[in-house]
Amino acid sequence: MANISIRDVHKSYGTENVLKTFSLEIGDGEFVVLVGPSGCGKSTILKIIAGLEPASGGQVYLGDRDVTDSAPGDRDVAMVFQNYALYPHLTVRQNIGFGLKMRGMTAREIERRVIDAARILAVDRYLDRRPKDLSGGQRQRVALGRAIVREPQAFLMDEPLSNLDAKLRVHMRAEIGALHKRIGVTTVYVTHDQTEAMTMADRIVILRDGEIQQIADPDTMFQKPVNLFVAGFIGSPGMNFLRASATEMDGSPAIEILGMKVSCKNRNLGSASKLIAGIRPEHFNVGGGEFSVNLRSTLVESLGSEKYVYFDVGNDLIDRSSDLDEEFSKGLIARIGQQGRLNEGEVIPLSFSLENLYFFDAETEKVIS
Amino acid sequence: MKRTRAQSIRLYLGVAAVCGILIFPIYWLFITALSTTLELKSLPPTFWPDPPQWQTFAKVAEERPILLWLANSTIAALGSVVLSMFVSILAGYSLSRFRVRGGNSLGLFILTAKMLPATLLVIPLFSIFRSVGLIGSIWSLIIAHSTLIIPFTTWMLKGYFDTIPKELEQAAMVDGCSPLGAMVRVILPVSAPGLAATSLYAFVLSWADYAYARTFLTNSQNNWTANLGITTMRGEYVTDWNEIAAVSVFVAIPIVIIYLFLERYLVGGLTAGAEK
Ligand SMILES: Nc1ncnc2c1ncn2[C@@H]1O[C@H](COP(=O)(O)OP(=O)(O)OP(=O)(O)O)[C@@H](O)[C@H]1O
Ligand SMILES: [Mg+2]
Repeated sequence: MANISIRDVHKSYGTENVLKTFSLEIGDGEFVVLVGPSGCGKSTILKIIAGLEPASGGQVYLGDRDVTDSAPGDRDVAMVFQNYALYPHLTVRQNIGFGLKMRGMTAREIERRVIDAARILAVDRYLDRRPKDLSGGQRQRVALGRAIVREPQAFLMDEPLSNLDAKLRVHMRAEIGALHKRIGVTTVYVTHDQTEAMTMADRIVILRDGEIQQIADPDTMFQKPVNLFVAGFIGSPGMNFLRASATEMDGSPAIEILGMKVSCKNRNLGSASKLIAGIRPEHFNVGGGEFSVNLRSTLVESLGSEKYVYFDVGNDLIDRSSDLDEEFSKGLIARIGQQGRLNEGEVIPLSFSLENLYFFDAETEKVIS
Repeated sequence: MKRTRAQSIRLYLGVAAVCGILIFPIYWLFITALSTTLELKSLPPTFWPDPPQWQTFAKVAEERPILLWLANSTIAALGSVVLSMFVSILAGYSLSRFRVRGGNSLGLFILTAKMLPATLLVIPLFSIFRSVGLIGSIWSLIIAHSTLIIPFTTWMLKGYFDTIPKELEQAAMVDGCSPLGAMVRVILPVSAPGLAATSLYAFVLSWADYAYARTFLTNSQNNWTANLGITTMRGEYVTDWNEIAAVSVFVAIPIVIIYLFLERYLVGGLTAGAEK
């Protein structure tokens, strides 16, 4: 086990700069999740750590070893691939033992460790099968087994759960978490699923277009996003963004939002006049409050314990779905916990409070705090 | 999809017709070898010789160095397979995996070499082999056949390697293999069907050659390949077709053996289970 230190690594393919200066210190035994939309460079940085792609510049340290120019096999890291990449011509036993054999371990020692790893992952009944005779979840476990059997300095996992169905994904998520607790190997885990990131990570790194947006633990990431992108990325359903502008009311600073003017004496609004106000769906209440507004609902989705209610607020809402790799925006969304009936097309009195609002500079998209 | 009974019958009739067309020449070759010259000229033709002349096989094997010819053919064919597979595995793998400027057009360009007729290359090859003293040597055939085989097998293997996810060798490298080790231990075993098909192509192309053997192996009968040997059996005045047929049966047997040996590798789907 070792810490990983990534110092000023960058990567270009031809003229395309797919990874801007990337620096990250990963502690011994830490579980770091890299998250971001498709094409943001997650796999690229993982392959650079593994040694499968050369960096265009910068260094990678494993423990106190500079491995920047080492071959993948000399780095003593194990990788789980998005598509598993099991060796189809080998049995499960040979798949798991392959890396040990390559390192010249004795047959007896290999057998012992393969069986140990297979037990941990509950694939010991399938040791003589070929990958094609396994279910998706079993293949996933074999891929994990191939990594843990090596007892490497670090695990690198590239979206290992993305090919599983929703139920199995939740199950395997918990299993990987438990496995990490048990063997405590430094892990870099890539996903584009923010729920996976929030539930598994010690620390999350959010990437966008090859650039680190924020590095923080899940709670900080949720409560103190540094910019519009992070705020929109973390949380499900995502934060609503409304156009807002700074004005004055009775001689003190105020904010205009959804046609309302509200004084914000104790909040820093920065110097920009064009702002974006962010509010999470769960911070809306039905009834009166600091800010209240009557809106006509366009769609009500009931999840049993709560309801997602959508409102059409026209141009006041900023549609960020394309930026976040999502399908499309259905309008302003409120997450209402109360029971009782809410009908589509009904006018609902919504309220929210100033302390739950985030403000961003519309120009730089940075948070104002 | 379930077939109706009528559809099944039509399907089987179609398959039977195709098999009949394919098998008939082989059957005809076989009974020609078993007939007397007199029977061969009779009209209507006989479809089963009475009695079958099995001794024709023994006779041709005694009169001509057939085993030697077959050995020469085998050496040329196996040599061509080994040489051309060695080159085209490395070339096809490089074309598939390493991104070089113009790599795709290079792949196609190699294939154009295949479009030149073999006979066009005979003359330049002959003068090259003469200047390096290879005329009359089996090496001339191995090299000449490989020049015909390599463009096609390289292109075919590149296509096969393209279908194998590159994560497979990346996994092998993380597991401690060198790039070459990953190719040998993971990519080649997974490519067995592609390797079998291309080897078979190479073997048959070399085995069936006549033009190059005729040109490069001029001297003694002991150097001939089987195909070259057969053609010399046509006499100026009489041709014993039954004897030619008997030798042809001997020549066909190794191909059948090679097919039987490679058949189990020719099934596809070996990468099944690698992913997802
Ligand atoms: N070999 C390559 N040549 C040129 N560009 C590449 C190459 N490999 C990746 N890229 C580009 O680098 C960028 C980052 O790719 P990467 O695979 O790291 O994305 P990712 O974040 O893993 O995305 P996903 O979530 O879809 O897996 C992409 O824009 C991609 O097109
Ligand atoms: Mg990726």
